[in-house]
Amino acid sequence: MLFQTTQAHEDLRAKIRAFAEEEVKPLAFMMDQQNEFPTEAIQKLGKMGLMGIPYPKEYGGAGLDAISYAIAVEELSRVDGGTGVILSAHVSLGSWPIFAFGTEEQKKKYLVPLARGEKLGAFGLTEPNAGSDAGGTETTAVDKGDHYLLNGGKIFITNAPKADTYVVFAVTTPDIGTRGISAFIVEKGWKGFEFGDHYDKMGIRSSSTAELIFNDVKVPKENLLGKEGEGFKIAMATLDGGRIGIAAQALGIAQGAFEQALAYSKERVQFGKPIAAQQSLSFKLADMATKLRCARFLIYSAAELKEHHAPYGMESAMAKMYASDIALEVTNDAVQIFGGTGFLKGMEVERMYRDAKITTIYEGTNEIQRVVIASHLIGKMPKEKGGSSRSVAKKPAPITGVRKHQIFRDGEAQDKVAALVEALKKDGHDFTVGIPLDTPIAQAERVVSAGKGIGDKKNMKLIENLAKAAGAAIGSSRPVAETLKYLPLNRYVGMSGQKFTGNLYIACGISGAVQHLKGIKDASTIVAINKNGNAPIFKNCDYGIVGDVNEILPLLAAALDTGKKQPAPPMVKMKRPPVPKPEPIGKRYVCSGCGYEYIPEIGDEDAEIAPGTLFENLPADWVCPECAEGKEQFIEA
Amino acid sequence: MHCVRTVTENLYWVGANDHRLALFENIHPIPKGVSYNAYLLLDEKSVLFDTIDWSACRQMLENVEYLLAGKPLDYLVINHVEPDHAASIEEILIRYPEVQIISTEKAFMLMRQFGFHVDSHPCIQVKEGDTYTFGTHTVTFISAPMVHWPEAMVTFDTTNGVLFSADAFGSFMALDGKLFADEVDFDRDWIDEARRYLTNIVGKYGPHIQALLKKAGGILDQIKYICPLHGPVWRENLGYFIEKYDKWSRYEPEVKGVLIVYASMYGNTEAAAQALAARLCEKGVRNVAVYDVSNTHVSYLISESFKYSHIVLASVTYNLGIYPVMKNYLEDMKALNLQNRTFAIIENGSWACKSGDLMQKFIDEEMKNMTVLNERLSLASALHDDKETELDTLANALVSDLNGDT
Repeated sequence: MLFQTTQAHEDLRAKIRAFAEEEVKPLAFMMDQQNEFPTEAIQKLGKMGLMGIPYPKEYGGAGLDAISYAIAVEELSRVDGGTGVILSAHVSLGSWPIFAFGTEEQKKKYLVPLARGEKLGAFGLTEPNAGSDAGGTETTAVDKGDHYLLNGGKIFITNAPKADTYVVFAVTTPDIGTRGISAFIVEKGWKGFEFGDHYDKMGIRSSSTAELIFNDVKVPKENLLGKEGEGFKIAMATLDGGRIGIAAQALGIAQGAFEQALAYSKERVQFGKPIAAQQSLSFKLADMATKLRCARFLIYSAAELKEHHAPYGMESAMAKMYASDIALEVTNDAVQIFGGTGFLKGMEVERMYRDAKITTIYEGTNEIQRVVIASHLIGKMPKEKGGSSRSVAKKPAPITGVRKHQIFRDGEAQDKVAALVEALKKDGHDFTVGIPLDTPIAQAERVVSAGKGIGDKKNMKLIENLAKAAGAAIGSSRPVAETLKYLPLNRYVGMSGQKFTGNLYIACGISGAVQHLKGIKDASTIVAINKNGNAPIFKNCDYGIVGDVNEILPLLAAALDTGKKQPAPPMVKMKRPPVPKPEPIGKRYVCSGCGYEYIPEIGDEDAEIAPGTLFENLPADWVCPECAEGKEQFIEA
Repeated sequence: MHCVRTVTENLYWVGANDHRLALFENIHPIPKGVSYNAYLLLDEKSVLFDTIDWSACRQMLENVEYLLAGKPLDYLVINHVEPDHAASIEEILIRYPEVQIISTEKAFMLMRQFGFHVDSHPCIQVKEGDTYTFGTHTVTFISAPMVHWPEAMVTFDTTNGVLFSADAFGSFMALDGKLFADEVDFDRDWIDEARRYLTNIVGKYGPHIQALLKKAGGILDQIKYICPLHGPVWRENLGYFIEKYDKWSRYEPEVKGVLIVYASMYGNTEAAAQALAARLCEKGVRNVAVYDVSNTHVSYLISESFKYSHIVLASVTYNLGIYPVMKNYLEDMKALNLQNRTFAIIENGSWACKSGDLMQKFIDEEMKNMTVLNERLSLASALHDDKETELDTLANALVSDLNGDT
């Protein structure tokens, strides 16, 4: 066989190259400098029928093969890596899962406009605590009958917020790891679906990247992609193909840099001849060209395997890993060949050098690509204890136990205070009665407590006023008593100090060190007021206001002030809910041959019985791991 | 000299008492000794039900020889192969070359493992539901796996209603002449040792005891005698003891009350435990027991833990962990499968108090169906007046939980 692309491939390449040179290249520097999205160029690509290259014509695509698609990404990236990834994310990530796993209705509604280039697509998997390990996904989709309620967020999402259609992954069954993840098609503009700021990136600055924020987003039932629990499978299959796009992007960036360097090395004269005539540079160019050819063949080969429905997961990982690794080398060499000139803004090699870096990182870091390749070579190795994402680590309960976590974050201070007071009154706190400010902490029904966030000593007046208005005693964190000496030592709250076990604790400017939290874990209600929304106290409170104590405390004092307080009756402790224990997923069984207990949550690793397997579902030939008695010798524990 | 007692017509106790053994299973103290029970049936054929520990073998041999009066022994029924009953098998086999052995498949395997030459004798392998007739007496065999070994069975004589119950319904303490539970004040003098025996030896296997009780339930009206391998024979008020077994094996507490177990290095944690005990009694709690974990053998603590509904653990912090003896007690409760208790915690530490969190974590994560009260008493070195409210809160929480208020 002749390892060559077809004439049709090369005609397509020529067409896209001409477009890129005319429409994208002149804008590339400006877009890089100004973080600007090539809206017009993308629209034109759509009109040219290039936004759905690998999809059938009946779904609005061009009906071409995977190599054609790789060539398109490569050629756009050759002049601008950012523009290249817009196409890659749109085709491989935003559209392909709908093409591969969507229902006919979903394809008609979503794939057709995507493939026609009327709409732009994106893909949302990565989260702060879930990237390569999708088992850590925290975004949830709760089944509400006719719709799912989507909550959480995604980070680093390519094409957001420009894209119209998002394939988003969320947990539908908690605590069973990746098997509990499902995929959804989510539209921009739905209520509660918002975007964070556009990231200020090192490279590919013409592509848009933003955070997705889901706040009670109603996703209609028919927008579930595939079946419930298939999300992880869909994500992995999508990323297998996505790697071809990223590999092609890396190749294009490197190809562009190489061409620039080759031309420059023939122009730049030193010691009386073009620097290309220096062997050190010519060898460098030879190496660069060789690497490019290797990468190109790896990519086209993976694309061809995909096109023919042969297994290609390992090959696409190899292509992505190799192409991006050499993209760094080639762009680095290109800048080197340009010398000081290449270090200047406005030089394409400078931009390409920065653009190349992301390709070894996204859609699976090259370390993860090596994991993928190695797993194909070696097979599945026994899992390390607790290391698999399937047995999700138990979330540690907050130190203060089960709390309401109702945080008033946004809006006017006045409104936040009003909402807090209303919630407290609803819970049964009576602010017409009060206790003396110096009631011993351990006996106090209510305490208003100051942390270092209170600032200057004169601000203790704010605490005092609030305590009076809330009918509470005054307390503090340890540093406020011990270091700042605003209060006597017997008034600081914490594990080593006084424990507060009353009904209402209002923590003002307290960040929530572990020692302090242990001292208030029996408080019936904890209120946190702090300007740092990420302070640990907010994870440990029932109600919180994110705001400056100087502003919030006087407002809260005014809202609670009922004039002179009546003496409080003896305290009636408001009950705290006990920390709920996870319900067992199934019955345990004991062996009559030895007393071994089968626990479904644990399974039987040595017999390759996955955690979560019910006793009833154990294979008939399963035997006791300790004494080899059969299943029938087990009785219910 | 022989030392036998009559159980009922043609059935004799041929066991022995042991006061010289300090530690049962070389782990549990038995200050009041233990009995090893074996029984001889003189029907048309003679049948020995189990043997006894090696240390008292000579006494059993004399007893059997006396009753057989020169006749051969025809059958040896082995219900349980643990050496405190089976160690003397070999001596019987040597003395009675014609004896036939009746037991379960697993029991024969274990006998071979322990080195008894059973294969030089006819071995009659039986399983659940099989019957055997020795003349006028017909027995049926009931498998009793994990009560307390996997090979165990119990044998029921359908003719006279005697249940040879193996380790089930046994007890620590030597019989010292008595044979029947109705010859002693069992509820006053024996119940604690019976509980200590059951909970420490077979406590882990509650589901299997339940399974056996269910089988026994089917023939309950036919059972006239329960002949265990340790402790007294039951012929009256069987329901009393069966009910105890039912509770223990379902891990239900016997009494509503508070067991306080403390680990104290210099008496400060002890003082807190005592203060709590006094306060509980002051508030009217009737069943309060206090133990020092360091000088109480853990088998007694286990027995008490099975008895009481509420357990207070008071522990000093030691090497940033739980006091080792207290940790051992926790591990033992877990190993013996104790469940369905409510715990409260007193913790002490002079610079980094860790014991409370660690005990709570152990109870929550390692044990089954336990509740830990939110109210906890935390000491920094010693209990002072400033902790009065915390102490009182803890006592109140226990009282209200005992009373079933939620």
